Amino acid sequence: MNGFDLVHDIQDAQLLDRKRERIGRIDGLVLELEEGCPPRVATILVGGLVRGERIGGWAVALARLLRRAAGMKSDGVSRIPFGAVREISGAIQVDVDEETLDSEAVERWLSTHVIRRLPGGDRDAK
Amino acid sequence: MTADAKKWGEVALGLVCGIGGFLEVGSIATATQAGAEFGLQLAWVVLLGTAALAMLMEMSGRLAIVSKRTFIDLLRERFGIRFFMAPLVVVFVVSVLALASEIGGVSSALAMATGVGVRWWALPVALVAWLLLWRGTFTVVEQGTAIFGIVSLAFAVGAWKLHPQWNAVGHALVPSAPSHDVARYWYIAVSIMGASVSPYLFIFYSSGAIEDRWTMDYINVNRTTAVLGNLFGGGLSVAVLVCAAMVLAPSHEAADSFDTFARILSTPLGRAGLWCFIATLCITCFGATLEIALSVAYMLAQGFGWSWSENLPPKKDARFSMAYSVVIVIAAIAILFGVDPLKLTTVTMVATAASLPLTIVPLLVLMNDGDVMSKYVNGWVGNAALIVVSVIAVLLFGAAVPLQLLAG
Repeated sequence: MNGFDLVHDIQDAQLLDRKRERIGRIDGLVLELEEGCPPRVATILVGGLVRGERIGGWAVALARLLRRAAGMKSDGVSRIPFGAVREISGAIQVDVDEETLDSEAVERWLSTHVIRRLPGGDRDAK
Repeated sequence: MTADAKKWGEVALGLVCGIGGFLEVGSIATATQAGAEFGLQLAWVVLLGTAALAMLMEMSGRLAIVSKRTFIDLLRERFGIRFFMAPLVVVFVVSVLALASEIGGVSSALAMATGVGVRWWALPVALVAWLLLWRGTFTVVEQGTAIFGIVSLAFAVGAWKLHPQWNAVGHALVPSAPSHDVARYWYIAVSIMGASVSPYLFIFYSSGAIEDRWTMDYINVNRTTAVLGNLFGGGLSVAVLVCAAMVLAPSHEAADSFDTFARILSTPLGRAGLWCFIATLCITCFGATLEIALSVAYMLAQGFGWSWSENLPPKKDARFSMAYSVVIVIAAIAILFGVDPLKLTTVTMVATAASLPLTIVPLLVLMNDGDVMSKYVNGWVGNAALIVVSVIAVLLFGAAVPLQLLAG
């Protein structure tokens, strides 16, 4: 059986969505404990305050401050069920759409409100 | 074109990039100051720095070819985000300083050409650089400026025409201790190290291998271009030092402005030499501006998993495009507010040297990880060399900075 080491192979790995777009890195993993069952990896956490927590208290404080200043209400964390994993090979592909992720909100906002408004920013190819 | 012809084309291109892309404000400034103040004596540091750079570029290329991943990608995954933040922050700061120095270099060249003050060029230069990144592809950035940078061969011609004693140049390639101004000697030595080996170079190089989709066939191309390209590039750096040693050292002039620097080419080559100096400074610093801005964006995007590629339209990698746009503006503002490009350059090069272990040591670990590199792990020669370079960078910095501070 081919096993994967959670910390060595999964934690911090590059995530790809179903169209193979890069959608952040695995910043946290949630284990689920149920009576009578062995513990299992339930959820992948990406971005926002979860990433800040791994860096340290100052990063969380800074992230909170920035989010409040920008008027963002969510914690910016995407929670992806581990069952959505389709492929593990260097990068990890999950069966989700980038459009639905909280952690990609900044990317979408920048793209629509800044990049596309700059001259040439709306082109489809370079 | 056959596969072989294409590969040799890549080698030729690598050489052009090595020649046209090696010099920039840091190597020009440090080599000129070294030559002006210590004659040929510091040539060995240029040789050492160039050898270190050649090895590091070969390794970061091999890493990307074998693993199909960039250095930063692996740095974040294998070392975790907590460790990653240290090189991220340090390389970010050093790169912004270097970016400001390069924009200052281009601006100084334009000021010499036109008579319009340095600071007024900062924003136009930033705008043109940004437009090229915004609209251009990786190939444009990589090859465009390198090809025009061939003008820097003028330093080789200049050095030749000054008729130095070539056996004295050969002797200077062997390390020696200074006979005067000990503190200043080691301070310049560490700045030469920082000017030769910058962390942005291996971030850029390993990202380039992914952007250009290098396959396993490129293992040899990678080694050949890293060695030959840097051999020529380092040779040009030595030529700058030789020119400065021949022109400025005899009169004990302080090499503290680009106007003085320009004399190292205008003395042997006349008016054409002056223009070659201005063109070299302008073009090579502009190329470095593009590479550093892109490298910062690569580092942030790969470290945090954002969409990235210089070949994608900006709306497809918004955070990546914002990253290079914002750092260019920050760096340009520093020059606009009148920061002296030459003073900034020297300080930046010393800071760069000090930052090297933070990126070289993780690279060493990755290059020995069989999971990542399979049978292409480092040999003992490469490992020993990396350790020696890291130790020298720390020792030089540890010795030079306190000495400099004591000397006032």
